[in-house]
Amino acid sequence: MASRIGVDIGGTFTDFILYNEKDNSITIDKIPTTPEEPQKAVIEVVKRNLSSETIKDIEFFLHGTTVGLNALLERKGSKVGMLCTKGFRDVIEIRRGDRDEMYNLFWQPSEPLVPRYLRLELNERMFANGNIHTTLNEEEVKKACKFFIEEGVSSIAVCLINAYANNEHEKKIEKLLRDFGFKGYISLSSVVSGEYREYERTTTTVIDSFVKARMSNYLNNLRDELKKLGFEGNFLVTRSGSGSMTFDEAEERPFETIMSGPVAGAEGAGELSRQKNNINMVTADVGGTSFDTCLILDGRPQIQFEGKIVGLPVQSPWVDVRSIGAGGGSIAYLDDGNLLRSGPRSSGAQPGPACYSRGGTEPTTTDAAFYLGMLGEGNLASGLKLNRDLAENALNSVGSKINLSAFDTAKGILKISSANMADAIREITIEQGIDPRELKLLAFGGAGPLMSNLIAKELDIKEIIIPPFSGNFSAWGLLGADLLQMTAQTKILRLNEKSINECNQILERLFKDLQERQKINFEILETIKEISLDMRWMGQEHTITLKLNNEKLGKITSSEDDIKKMFVSEYEKTFGSKLDTIIEIVSIRASLRVPLPRKTSRGLINEELSGSDQESIKCYSFDSDSIEEFKIIQRNKIEEEFSGPAIILESTAVTYVDKNYTVKKDNSDHLIITDTKI
Amino acid sequence: MSEDLHHYKCGIDRIVKKTNVDPITTQIVRNSLNSAAEQMKRALCRTAMSPIIYEVLDFAAAIYDRDLRMLSQAPSLPLFMGTLNFCIEEAVKGVGGEENLEEGDIIIYNSPYGTGSHPQDAALVMPVFFENELIAYTAIKAHWLDIAGKEPYSTDTVDVFQEGTVYPGVKLYSKGNLVKDIYKMCIANTRVPNSVAGDINAQAIGVRTGERALKRVVAKYGLNKFREAVEEIFDAGEKIVRNYLKEIPNGEYFGSGQLDNNGVEEGNIPFDVKVIIKDESVVLDMSDAPPQQNGPVNCPLPSTVSTARVAMSMLAGSNEAPNEGFFRPIEVITKKGTLFHPLSPAPCFLYGWPALQAMEVFYRALGSKHPEKVPASSGGCINAVVYWGQREDTGEPWADGSPHPIGQGGSFYGDGATCLHHAESATRFAPTEVWENRNPWLVNRVELIQDSCGAGEHRGGLGVNLEIEMLEDTFATTVCERTELSPWGLNKGKEGLANNCFLINDEGEKKSIPKATRVSIKKGSKVLIQNGGGGGYGSPSERKKEKVLDDYKQQYISREYIKEYYPEVKLND
Repeated sequence: MASRIGVDIGGTFTDFILYNEKDNSITIDKIPTTPEEPQKAVIEVVKRNLSSETIKDIEFFLHGTTVGLNALLERKGSKVGMLCTKGFRDVIEIRRGDRDEMYNLFWQPSEPLVPRYLRLELNERMFANGNIHTTLNEEEVKKACKFFIEEGVSSIAVCLINAYANNEHEKKIEKLLRDFGFKGYISLSSVVSGEYREYERTTTTVIDSFVKARMSNYLNNLRDELKKLGFEGNFLVTRSGSGSMTFDEAEERPFETIMSGPVAGAEGAGELSRQKNNINMVTADVGGTSFDTCLILDGRPQIQFEGKIVGLPVQSPWVDVRSIGAGGGSIAYLDDGNLLRSGPRSSGAQPGPACYSRGGTEPTTTDAAFYLGMLGEGNLASGLKLNRDLAENALNSVGSKINLSAFDTAKGILKISSANMADAIREITIEQGIDPRELKLLAFGGAGPLMSNLIAKELDIKEIIIPPFSGNFSAWGLLGADLLQMTAQTKILRLNEKSINECNQILERLFKDLQERQKINFEILETIKEISLDMRWMGQEHTITLKLNNEKLGKITSSEDDIKKMFVSEYEKTFGSKLDTIIEIVSIRASLRVPLPRKTSRGLINEELSGSDQESIKCYSFDSDSIEEFKIIQRNKIEEEFSGPAIILESTAVTYVDKNYTVKKDNSDHLIITDTKI
Repeated sequence: MSEDLHHYKCGIDRIVKKTNVDPITTQIVRNSLNSAAEQMKRALCRTAMSPIIYEVLDFAAAIYDRDLRMLSQAPSLPLFMGTLNFCIEEAVKGVGGEENLEEGDIIIYNSPYGTGSHPQDAALVMPVFFENELIAYTAIKAHWLDIAGKEPYSTDTVDVFQEGTVYPGVKLYSKGNLVKDIYKMCIANTRVPNSVAGDINAQAIGVRTGERALKRVVAKYGLNKFREAVEEIFDAGEKIVRNYLKEIPNGEYFGSGQLDNNGVEEGNIPFDVKVIIKDESVVLDMSDAPPQQNGPVNCPLPSTVSTARVAMSMLAGSNEAPNEGFFRPIEVITKKGTLFHPLSPAPCFLYGWPALQAMEVFYRALGSKHPEKVPASSGGCINAVVYWGQREDTGEPWADGSPHPIGQGGSFYGDGATCLHHAESATRFAPTEVWENRNPWLVNRVELIQDSCGAGEHRGGLGVNLEIEMLEDTFATTVCERTELSPWGLNKGKEGLANNCFLINDEGEKKSIPKATRVSIKKGSKVLIQNGGGGGYGSPSERKKEKVLDDYKQQYISREYIKEYYPEVKLND
């Protein structure tokens, strides 16, 4: 139950959350992000919530950051030199030959992170089975090293073909570069990833080199400043692949933090599911610009093993959060065929929705919802009073062109957005063989509770869960992030007893690597070893990842038959069919999980409440397609179960509850909203 | 003569004349239909056995209404876009018409003159019933690695019967049950039975996924409202293309192109295309084409039509997923018995190659008067090579093949990139490490070719040299077109390097084999595929000096190249 701080830097706001063990209290806060020097907002928000005395009692500082991502987005990273196998220096430039926009004749890929003249070739080669074809020539490495030093290169990425099968040459090059006097950062592709596909692994390695210096500086600065404030606890940062890692490890593997943005929410959802007997859920995290959804099965978010960011593949674990450009600030417009659309363009923090009276004139989802009455009277906790006339003008600016009233335009915007969100949820559930009707919908983020009713309706989901402090739920999720390390090795084997032995040898090495990587200097309760296998029918390329939940010893004890049965049943569940051919293991995955001390599921919340003068408001009901009288209810006043229609207010979000739904609070302060018609 | 002319109006017009559906429902139905096709694609890719499907995306997954109008198609192989209406029509005829369809049926169909493709592109077609009424079809046409033609891949067939087994529209599933006799025929008629078994399974999963997704959409709105929304979706699609065409002045535009040869005889095959823009509509007149050929470079009508659809959609489609409405402003004129409208049993195994060329020439024609609208010529081909053999240690048969990236043409907007041909714009080619795991290969290089770009204010993209050494005896069929006609420049831009393909034996002797069937490659020999560069756009003298110097620094171009094309730029060292 240790006290901890979570700070999550988002595009618009930096969210703060504090759990204090002493009085079981939770404090939430928000401050505008300072993009130039992101640590400034972090320090500021910590300072205004904790004194030099109280900060001493905090054991963990958990951080979600976009520093690595911004380095990539802004292309402000290190000057990187790349060493590669002869014949392969253009791997990052030729890519896989596809286009991000398939119907765009004029599409161009972005510039490679390493210009061609800094990509040097070495006469060396491994076979796919790890045998050496051509031995490394040390003289060439020496020459390359000299060139890089002269060019002022500060990071070197070493990316050799088939290094995942044998990294001898890469290791040797690292040593030689040091011997020859290179003092900057060195990234080896085989350390970054043990998996095959050279374009993906090379790109990931180059990203690692590119962001390393900036990330390292940032983490060090932040650590120093927090220490100056009196913080004496442990520093953790979230990973793109769920969980967290120490600052020390993040400095060595910054690419693992690149996409930690939407992860905290998924993490919180996983924790919530585990508290509720591992119920299966799908999340609806709606912020200002995007809708993020993630499937939670057996108490954990789903993990993919490759992600994509700014058009570049990242070969590293990745929480499978699907995003579409649909949020509260998404702008509605007419497309070339005169059909109404919403997003992905967003009004952002400035000017924001038209009804914010900050100069916005285009209609956003927030304008539409407010105009329909779904946001109550529009008195926000921040003191902002929404302006109905401005919302109406904005809606008319689009609707009048297709003869729609402001009211019908507003209805349309919400219907289109919620249908798009539902389609995204269908894609992530159905492709895994999951029927969304069997799931609960967990809604959070500034506009999640607002949209939740409509999304659930689209998908025939019976029950919606709105967590406490739903607008800041992501930061809350941060507080529960276990320490996690993951690694994998590609080794294509036909499934049999012999290959299981081979897997076990690989696992032994993988777990050893992970333990060396952890760099934990605080006392830990336990370490959990987890194993999974990427498997397929021989001849297929795509694999499914089979979690071996019963293997706790860091090695596989199940028999060939057991594993075969598990694979076949998982495959049938996903694709509804099976084949009759040889089964292959493609990659072996190991992870180490170190749980942080459990935090409470419920604390006393210190928050400001948004005001309301009225007890009810006229609002549009999607269920009856007419205006109805909606009750206005303060969330913290809810005790008894009641029926919709209603608008529920809390400081960071508004929940829309239509007719034919009931609302109750469970014993952990979650709102449970149930469709009485299903 | 004129009675042989064939006018094909692409998009089928409105059926429900008066609708009363709101634009919101229309938009939601449209998105749901695109999402349904996307779900079909994902299911197919994740279960398919051959890399041609899951990596190269050599397939089309689409949903059509009962009147064979395209509701949606997943982003996959553009060249297959809108060919499936022909295919579904013939498949349904094959089983005796609509009245013989039942819920749960899946028809297999691959007759080249109905699919527009070679026999390897086998389609599964599933009728979709809603409350006992036939309302639509889901269909996937996908490339199987082998369907028992004279070779796994051929450039020298002389009639369609040499090209593979034909399934003329027979039920593979009847009321949801596998028809075992037909299935056995499918498995017996291939050199790689495991792969084909897996791909049939994947295609069946795919069409069923689409069926379920479509039914959900229809159930939500009811059939009448759904149909009304569909009419509105098509109208909106039509408007997008017409808005684009409005910008191009009425007139006739001419372009000419050329195929190297027909695969069995020597001699270039030049052809001319006329593009007529008239009042927001476009006619692609291919009727002046040479007679149908004795070798397999004939392009059956469905693929000729599809070429026009793809070329237009990529130009005018605002980067949107197309539907039937997009096709309405397009008309295609062909002449029976010619290269672009051959008659059975003319061989057509390489149907895609004239289609690719027609696309380039279509752009060339428009570019002749409006160079800012289109790019210069790309390398012009996918330079496909297909390999097969038996593994030394296990005796297991193997086969693999791939299209390759080429330089794209420079354009008004900037330099050309290095990507696959636009007709395969979503396609990915496989990583070396995956290839070396699957096949007995050592890939020696995958690298950009210096000086392969056409010079210009905006230069073409660079071509790619791909060299593979065979670690075991192998057979290969190569199909590289446009080795004789270099990628043309546009608006005073210069030519890029043309394609080629070489066999290099273990003594280093190099032999050009751009179009060859069943080449025996001994262990230790190499195949080098020279994928050409893109043509340049605008006069080279207009190129910024610093860009020329940077191209030199990055070793995209050499000192000699600068001397020849940018003589006013002086190098210091």
